[in-house]
Amino acid sequence: MVIGQTVKKWLRFTYGIPMLFLNGCAHSGLLLLEPRGLLSDTAVHYFTLDVGIMLLIIVPTALLAIWAMWRYRRGGRGAYRPDWSHSGRIELVVWGIPLVTVAVLSYLSIKAIYELNPYNPTILARTHKAAGRPLRVDVIATDWRWLFIYPRQHIASVNELVVPVHRPIRFRLTSTSVVNDFLIPQLVGMIDVMPGMRVKEAMVVNKPGHYLGFSADYSGAGLSWMHFDTHAVSVAQFRRFVAAARSSGRGLTDTGFNRFARPFIAVGGARQVFGRVQQGLFGHVVREVMRGKVWRTPMDMTENMVRYMKQQRAEQNAGEY
Amino acid sequence: MGRLSLRQIPYQNPILVGTFVFALILGAAIVGLVTYHKRWGVLWREWLTTVDHKKIGVMYCLIGLVMLFRGFIDALMIRTQQAIAVGPHSPGYLGALHGYLTPFHAGQIFTAHGLIMVVFAATPLLVGLMNIIVPLQIGARDMAYPYLNALGLWLTAAGAALVMVSLFIGNFAHGGWYGFVPYFELPYSPGVGVDYWLWAFQLSVLGTTLGSINLIATIVKMRAPGMTWMRMPIFTWASLSANLIALTTFPVLMVCLALLASDRYFGTHFYTAGMGGNLMLYNDLFWVWGHPEVYFLILPAFGMMSEIVPTFSEKTLFGYATMVIASFAIGGVSWGVWLHHFFTMAAAPSVNSFYSVTTMLVGIPTGVKVFNWIFTMYRGRVRFELPMMWAVLSLFLLLVGGLTGMMNAFATNDYMWHNGVFVVAHFHLMVLLIAASIFGSVEYWFPKVFGFKLEARWGKAFFWCIVLGTGWVFIPMFLLGFAGMTRRLDYIPYTQWGPYLRVMLVGMGFYILAVAFFFMHLYVSLRDRAKNRVGADAWGTSRSLEWMTHSPVPAYNFAFVPQVHARDEWAWRKEQGVADLKSGPYRDIHMPGNTGVPFVLGALALALAFALTWRIWWLSGLALALCVAVVIVRAFAEDTDTVISAQDVERAERRYHDGEVVPMEEPMGRPTPRPAT
Repeated sequence: MVIGQTVKKWLRFTYGIPMLFLNGCAHSGLLLLEPRGLLSDTAVHYFTLDVGIMLLIIVPTALLAIWAMWRYRRGGRGAYRPDWSHSGRIELVVWGIPLVTVAVLSYLSIKAIYELNPYNPTILARTHKAAGRPLRVDVIATDWRWLFIYPRQHIASVNELVVPVHRPIRFRLTSTSVVNDFLIPQLVGMIDVMPGMRVKEAMVVNKPGHYLGFSADYSGAGLSWMHFDTHAVSVAQFRRFVAAARSSGRGLTDTGFNRFARPFIAVGGARQVFGRVQQGLFGHVVREVMRGKVWRTPMDMTENMVRYMKQQRAEQNAGEY
Repeated sequence: MGRLSLRQIPYQNPILVGTFVFALILGAAIVGLVTYHKRWGVLWREWLTTVDHKKIGVMYCLIGLVMLFRGFIDALMIRTQQAIAVGPHSPGYLGALHGYLTPFHAGQIFTAHGLIMVVFAATPLLVGLMNIIVPLQIGARDMAYPYLNALGLWLTAAGAALVMVSLFIGNFAHGGWYGFVPYFELPYSPGVGVDYWLWAFQLSVLGTTLGSINLIATIVKMRAPGMTWMRMPIFTWASLSANLIALTTFPVLMVCLALLASDRYFGTHFYTAGMGGNLMLYNDLFWVWGHPEVYFLILPAFGMMSEIVPTFSEKTLFGYATMVIASFAIGGVSWGVWLHHFFTMAAAPSVNSFYSVTTMLVGIPTGVKVFNWIFTMYRGRVRFELPMMWAVLSLFLLLVGGLTGMMNAFATNDYMWHNGVFVVAHFHLMVLLIAASIFGSVEYWFPKVFGFKLEARWGKAFFWCIVLGTGWVFIPMFLLGFAGMTRRLDYIPYTQWGPYLRVMLVGMGFYILAVAFFFMHLYVSLRDRAKNRVGADAWGTSRSLEWMTHSPVPAYNFAFVPQVHARDEWAWRKEQGVADLKSGPYRDIHMPGNTGVPFVLGALALALAFALTWRIWWLSGLALALCVAVVIVRAFAEDTDTVISAQDVERAERRYHDGEVVPMEEPMGRPTPRPAT
């Protein structure tokens, strides 16, 4: 711990270095470096430490290389010693420096991995800022939409995640077809969302606002449109969202989900809310996929995107989805 | 004809039709030129049927260059698509909503780009250079298994050809070069694309595995007398460690792909999501190969740098033993890091911690290598000729690539950008490092193989365009990584990423110039070759054994097998004044004879792979049966060797001494006279 703190104190000086490249950060769109959540904050903290320590090694090494090349260029001032090829002292240093660096970084890395363990982030327990009982959200990735189910509230929302700020969110995630990757750059890192399996992730939002989310792993033709919006709102606003969803009256049952999960490219958005979601839908989907349920991608669906979108729109208008 | 029909020819796609016309014109031009100059006989006798390691190496490099060009065109298309298709109001052409590539087409392009660059460009170029240089560096006359060597080449060529065929018949895989499961299973990829990918990959895997056996056997068994382990040139050491990696990991990939083939062809459930399949199994098997493969590529590149830097620093390599240890340390650690390719798969923190630390361990020997190159230049007399310029570029790319690599190894950083373009930028810098070393060593060893140096003016223009292009493409890409941009998008949903993507086009412009300058570089060098002729020691300050024999190297490599006295044998001999190899009267030299069997086997393998792709069962069976038959027939062949007589050797040696140019394809040797029965 003491070492960690000393290093941290030392490194405060290097914090500015990456920032030099990022001036005007707020408007740069560099989402990963503008964290707004507890976990992303922690990740960026360790990222800065990591980069700082690495730069302490890399920059002098680069300067040493340039110096050696310049001084010992042909016609330069360096003395030419063609047979000099070994020095125990230098060998010790060249093995020692990387060894010590890697040791320090390994310590920090392991510490960070436990603090940000998606199943049980210890940082969450340590900082008691997060208030209230965790909100449970079940996430199902289909081809190519995100369904966010709030199991305690019995509501669901498509491609739009609404969460209260400062309250821990506990996700359970699965996929109906192929592997997706859940990511909200400013709030939480990537987690693979796999068919027939359940993974977990946790998140706390520090600041109300609107955050973009993406699917990162390649899942097919609709991937580029598989982004979603995250709204971090006050507790009162969240209650209003739940109430509005409930009053929408649309239900989502196991059989309804079978229709919903067919391939759909969310061009132009795909927001919907469901007011009555069947109990245990998430577990049902995981079990179905494990038993071999498959939503096939039609062979020719993406060969002509314009034609396919027309067809999809027609089906949508006919109330198929 | 299985699934094959005329409907599978993509004549509606103007891009592919254009490519087809271009390929047709190019092919016709080549056929015309060969016919006009009446070179079909020479082509067959001296190249297609050769077992000479130098010619095989040259052909490997040619395949690599052609595929490098193809991969570059793919990259160009990805970059333009991403620069156009930004936001919902961007225009769309050719059936795409935005940009000019539909998701299906864009998917094929980034898949082909990845597979081609790793497996059909970098690998053949490196294998080719190892083929040419390793036997020369250890004073051998050929590889341990010359026939196997040719077979490896033609299997690789068949794989490359299959990838090219997929352009014009059917389509290619469209989900990433390393094949996601269950995405590559039938329900999500029903077309032949994945099958093309599968069999092209398998062919190259087979070729590379055979090549690695050969190189290991050659290095272990065929070193010249006096060349102890610790006198071996550093590039040979690097090749040895690289091929040990290849031999231990490529078979794993073969199994991994075979299981996927079984899923697709027999309906098994190895990697499916349901029915007891396990997609983790695929990831494990693939990356148990995939990460060591990275070091299989980079270790020879490090070896090349370790040859170039001392030559142009006019000084012994600093810390030879350390370099050897570092190479094997990298090779050793490479087997234990693969899980970092799925840090985000929600493994327990203890598991991620383990692989985070092992991955960082790679940084130690790599860092040592960097310092050793710097201390080789230290107290030297550094000459910045083209090979050295490339080596220096590699060094700096390694510093940036190493920095970003260490950032990725830090698992929680990886959570932020695992499937993002930050990782893409990182590994492109690493592969560019490999490419820079390859270009450097082509400049460096070209005079050894062909007898003349490449000219410097266009070469320098080429070099600087690569430097500028790399900066303009990859600095924005790193920033995009921080902007949270994910990989493999064919449409950019977040418009703030747009400006960076457009800036990258400037870099692509420099890369296009670089390609043009590269062709000029080759053309001018060929045109002015008479001016740039060199003797045995092309650079004047080289240190290892290959610079002792003539340039271009005669078919028999060394008229007399050299006796090795020192680590830098050639430098030692120059100091001692014993540069002449001749140590008595010339003797007959026993050499492997040319054979067309490997070429035929390659062609049959191509037919087999094509038939399997299209599920043309009769052709698959026929091609497989013929393969087996040819191998059996070959096993009974008795006169597989030739002898170059003492007179022939003497005549050739005299011509070299007179400074005459001996063309590489000049036939030498004749079949062994059958003993009279």
